[in-house]
Amino acid sequence: MNHHFTLPNSGHHYDAKASKMGMWLFLYTELLLFGGLFLVYMVYRSLNQDAFLLASFNLNVWIGTANTVVLLTSSMTVAMSISALQKGDSKKSILLLWLTILAALIFLVVKYFEWSSKFEHGLFPGMDHFNQLPNGEKLYFNLYFFMTGLHGLHVIVGGIFIMVVVAKIKSGKVNKSRYQLLENSGLYWHLVDLIWIYLFPLFYLIH
Amino acid sequence: MKNQHSTEETHAEHITSYREHFGTWVGLILLTLMTVFISVFGADLRTITVATALFIASVKALVVAYYFMHLKYDPRIYRVLMTIVMSLFTSFLIMVILDYLTR
Repeated sequence: MNHHFTLPNSGHHYDAKASKMGMWLFLYTELLLFGGLFLVYMVYRSLNQDAFLLASFNLNVWIGTANTVVLLTSSMTVAMSISALQKGDSKKSILLLWLTILAALIFLVVKYFEWSSKFEHGLFPGMDHFNQLPNGEKLYFNLYFFMTGLHGLHVIVGGIFIMVVVAKIKSGKVNKSRYQLLENSGLYWHLVDLIWIYLFPLFYLIH
Repeated sequence: MKNQHSTEETHAEHITSYREHFGTWVGLILLTLMTVFISVFGADLRTITVATALFIASVKALVVAYYFMHLKYDPRIYRVLMTIVMSLFTSFLIMVILDYLTR
């Protein structure tokens, strides 16, 4: 009698609605995690306005803009890959997911060069130049490295998640009628984009 | 019975068109360029540029949640939950701001 709770091709219990709700609940905890950091940023910034402004000139607005465009584009490709799989075109879906992973890599490589130049200038917490900065600028760089670092970690996790989904589409475990895992990886990826949408103006555009 | 079975099996959901995804992307890129240009060329109006940047970021976040994250077509419960979480965060924000303004 439990027939219609179980898919004929699996024997596993598959519940797309519960899976999706679980993903969203997890994303809410992620929003509050970054939300807490945004509160810390807001308080320290209101106490050190000029120092934050001065420190922000060390970041290049155009590099930040380029990375924003890369992430927005990857959000589009992952959303399109869901449409493609829903239409039954798994090849196109996989191609769009690879494009998303490529964008994740571009984002990380750009971030690597950005961070490297800060290291060269001794601006990482604990380095010589950093230690001589006034407190407000120290706070800015602490928050910059912590928040973009945590975000970068999410980019890496999201990229791995999407690669797992690619493998599962190839093996047929994720398909036209069972695509919740793909949708969940997409939701996670959009969250990564969502957080960057706030990080970008807060660190790059405040002047 | 067969019909019922197949709706259990498939998601029977709305499929967003490629065109709509592309349109969403165009909108997001335009908002990004707008916020960059306001920041770069309006540097003398500091408080205004900060407020504008955060306002534009929130519009972008809403567009991503509504279209890319599919909230527009999802059951209402997802929008309700999102509203609750955002209200919760906003109340934290207001409490912290009030705390610092009244010290």
